[in-house]
Amino acid sequence: MPRIGVFVCQCGNNIAATVDTKKVAEEMGKLPGVVYTCDYKFMCSSPGQEMLRQAIKENKLDGIIVSACSPHMHEKTFRKAAEGAGLNPYQCEITNIREQCSWVHHDKTKAAGTVKSIDLTRMTIQRLKKNQPLKKIKIPVKKKAMVIGGGIAGIQAALDIAEGGREVILVEKEPSIGGNMARLSETFPTMDCSQCILTPKMVEAELNENITLYTYSEVEKVDGYIGNFTVTVRRKSKYVDEERCTGCGECIEKCPFKVDSQFELGLNKRKVIYTPFPQSVPNVPVIDAPNCTKIQKDKCGACAIVCGPKCIDFKMEDKLVTEEVGAIVVATGYQNMPNERFGEYGYGRIKDVISGMQFERLASSSGPTGGEIRRPSDGKIPQSVVFIQCVGSRDEKKGVSYCSKICCMYTAKHTKLYSHKVHGGQSYVFYMDIRSGGKRYEEFVRGAIEHEGAMYLRGRVSRVYEKNGKIMVQGADTLSGNQVEIEADMVVLATAVVSRDGADTLAQRLGIGYDKYKFYNEYHPKLKPVETVTAGIYLAGTCMGPMDIPESVAQGSAAASKVLALFSADEMAREPITSVVNRTTCNACWDCVTACPYTAIEREAIKDRQGNVVRWVAKVNDGVCQGCGVCVAACRSKSIDLKGYTDEQVFAAINAF
Amino acid sequence: MEKTLRLKAKELLESGEVKVVIGYGWNRSKTRTTPVFITDPADVDTLVWNPLCVNNLSLYLTRKYKEIKALGRPAIVAKGCDIRNIVVLITEGQFKREDVFIIGMTCNGTVYKQDLWKGELTPNIMPTKCHNCDVRNPHVTDFVVGEKSTFTPPEVPTGMVYDKVKDLDSKSQSERWAFWVKEFSRCVKCYACRQVCPLCYCERCITEKNMPQWIETSAHPRGNLSWNLTRAMHLVGRCTFCGECERSCPVNIPLNLINQKMIGVVKEAFDFKSGYDEKTHPPMIVFSPDDKENFIK
Ligand SMILES: Cc1cc2nc3c(=O)[nH]c(=O)nc-3n(C[C@H](O)[C@H](O)[C@H](O)COP(=O)(O)OP(=O)(O)OC[C@H]3O[C@@H](n4cnc5c(N)ncnc54)[C@H](O)[C@@H]3O)c2cc1C
Ligand code: SF4
Ligand code: SF4
Ligand code: SF4
Repeated sequence: MPRIGVFVCQCGNNIAATVDTKKVAEEMGKLPGVVYTCDYKFMCSSPGQEMLRQAIKENKLDGIIVSACSPHMHEKTFRKAAEGAGLNPYQCEITNIREQCSWVHHDKTKAAGTVKSIDLTRMTIQRLKKNQPLKKIKIPVKKKAMVIGGGIAGIQAALDIAEGGREVILVEKEPSIGGNMARLSETFPTMDCSQCILTPKMVEAELNENITLYTYSEVEKVDGYIGNFTVTVRRKSKYVDEERCTGCGECIEKCPFKVDSQFELGLNKRKVIYTPFPQSVPNVPVIDAPNCTKIQKDKCGACAIVCGPKCIDFKMEDKLVTEEVGAIVVATGYQNMPNERFGEYGYGRIKDVISGMQFERLASSSGPTGGEIRRPSDGKIPQSVVFIQCVGSRDEKKGVSYCSKICCMYTAKHTKLYSHKVHGGQSYVFYMDIRSGGKRYEEFVRGAIEHEGAMYLRGRVSRVYEKNGKIMVQGADTLSGNQVEIEADMVVLATAVVSRDGADTLAQRLGIGYDKYKFYNEYHPKLKPVETVTAGIYLAGTCMGPMDIPESVAQGSAAASKVLALFSADEMAREPITSVVNRTTCNACWDCVTACPYTAIEREAIKDRQGNVVRWVAKVNDGVCQGCGVCVAACRSKSIDLKGYTDEQVFAAINAF
Repeated sequence: MEKTLRLKAKELLESGEVKVVIGYGWNRSKTRTTPVFITDPADVDTLVWNPLCVNNLSLYLTRKYKEIKALGRPAIVAKGCDIRNIVVLITEGQFKREDVFIIGMTCNGTVYKQDLWKGELTPNIMPTKCHNCDVRNPHVTDFVVGEKSTFTPPEVPTGMVYDKVKDLDSKSQSERWAFWVKEFSRCVKCYACRQVCPLCYCERCITEKNMPQWIETSAHPRGNLSWNLTRAMHLVGRCTFCGECERSCPVNIPLNLINQKMIGVVKEAFDFKSGYDEKTHPPMIVFSPDDKENFIK
């Protein structure tokens, strides 16, 4: 005969207001196998837990039920307490009589809530009688991490993991790390030069012995599970031997061909053999193969002739390397919504309508104009500039419904930069609202308006057109109620922050979720902000949604701390709630294989002594299985059972109803 | 056609390319066709082909027939509709495409039940599936027997089963419920429907799982209902509407209705019809990040 204890929680008045907890306890005491019952104000409090431990010991209980709140809240707490009293933690089950009873039945006579609590608890008792003691699963952990994306978030994560004494591979798809921050001029709210604060971090990442940089590389395939990932990385051919290149730059000097620079967003040209920007890390040029005449037509080869250490190889091919890592941090960042989408603002038609990021390049001392604000069409210094905020953001119809969060701040920054660089110039800002939450952010925007003379107009721009060499901007000033028309020399669009092209493909390779905008989903928006639903894969920075540098950096460090915590032990313990296949009845139909969202199920061959395959069966990989139960539902022959939620347990519970 | 069929069977057996030919032969009194399993090239003249060849022989390729598997690589005489089941079996990993030699028969329709045969195939003795058949020229084959059929199925499927489904759909929920409860109450739990279904290949059917016993085995209304609903649900997105279950049911439960209803639902929701492409899994059991439904992401 089992010896079961039932503990009914009042949750202050949360449960007790509409459930007669005493009655629930009394009724349960009458059931066979139940040897102890009680009700108490707060079971989760220290005295509550102590009471539970005492009762287990004194009554020699072999299973307990806590009828309280959702198992999401305190299942762990009570299982731990039970374990403390020598019970197998999985012999403790929770009945949810708060969310499912007291909170949904407001009847003050307590009739409905009490009856339902009794029913649910009785079901759990029957279920508990079929429980099997379970053991946590131990998985070995490979103590090496991979960070995908070498923007500021990824660099920070890599540096922190390396500082913690673990090896990291930093995979970046461009020829240099740095990401979008490398493009910025000065940064709000402190106005320090972006390159000056970023470059030291990039160099640190290059020099740190624990960090291996794979630039110009992309993740092709990810297998395995937490602690044991196998990642295949394509190292695209740079046509330059990274080991021997001294970074002298002679080759770039000699290359006779120029194309538009992606880094400069079309504002400048670069050579066909190039580094994206002067401070690139690593300082090794790559050849842009589609534009190289030597590679395409076997003509030229100038770079190879001047290269002292002879490290240019036009025949170099992509390499696939596989890496075994225990954890992955995804920090692949963002891009700006392509301006081409905004014809009404004249983009594409009018040369001096540019994006905010292009303005950053104009203002940057390493940019195409050496930091002078000169407009792209004729190089003149614009005497009046119109900034338009929310281009694509908060615009369900043409853009995205969310707020890009950083544009209010960087537009204010742009007006400041403009007034510092062009004395006497006038800036205008069309905005919907000013959102400047953050330490010293509101003061920053107020400064732009009050001290730097930026003219802020609340309203939307309806039309942008050219007249007599000027750009005419028509819009509403909703505060004065007037239509305004401004003659501008240049227009800057604060285009929405969006996810990167291909963000969904990478997510599918990694098995992590994303929202409808293809930003990656965190496990829990408040309590697990850098975790994903796939154990061992963490997120940092703008791949999750718009954010500024301080937030990206904080997340990089947060993700790193998760990785270091995971690496702190040789093995990690996992909940044993995983599926098992009944090998004698499995039909090898592989329905479970196609249904499992975590690709946790493999095909296994059963062999006879001679090594001949006698049959095939499904096999669940304990390391990957998340216990979702999808396979159990998919299996027609009922050959899969989920530990902790077995058919027998569920059947017993239903039968008790 | 029979001549070509027999010649091919002979050639396959003689060359050793296959070890058994699964096809149709006459019963003793030559009133019905019955499955035959030919292993000796001398016996190929037993093979026949006519509108009585209604059985779906793909059943004999499943894991339920270990003794047939033991014979070695089979060739199977199959109509287009039977081939659809073979395709599903391949999709579900029951064997590989190259593990079976498919002799595809061009078909002009069969009788619904063999007893209806009076020497001539008239539309009124053909099952609904034949009137709407889009695989009279068999679609996945290693060898085709017969002249090309020029039949094109009607744009909107027609026939008794479709009419009845429509009729049932027009009824209220409670009327429909009453209809099915009444129909299923006749079930005697003989499991003939399961035994003939090529897609009911589980070695241990869920009805035989007794720890716990999800489906009551005695033939009373509650157990009947859960058996019949489970059978239907296990075939969603898989059933090819071959009609063997209804044909075999000793108490004439209209299983075609429930199967066709499910087929319609799957077609509507996922634009999927089973048994055409071995690479596409039935939509109900596939986790895909590009699922039409958003909630799962
Ligand atoms: C106009 C403008 C001005 C701004 N000004 C400021 C400011 O003044 N102050 C401030 O705090 N913030 C500012 N920001 C925001 C700032 O740019 C971001 O917060 C920050 O750069 C985000 O860093 P990240 O590492 O998350 O992403 P990113 O900088 O986008 O880095 C992502 C990196 O991952 C790489 N990558 C992408 N996909 C892959 C892949 N599949 N495999 C490998 N590598 C990949 C990319 O090449 C890139 O190097 C501004 C933004 C804009 C648009
Ligand atoms: S769904 Fe069931 S029968 Fe099919 S392979 Fe998986 S475990 Fe085996
Ligand atoms: S329980 Fe979920 S995660 Fe585990 S094997 Fe089954 S379907 Fe996959
Ligand atoms: S063949 Fe008919 S009677 Fe027999 S189990 Fe199936 S539905 Fe029931």
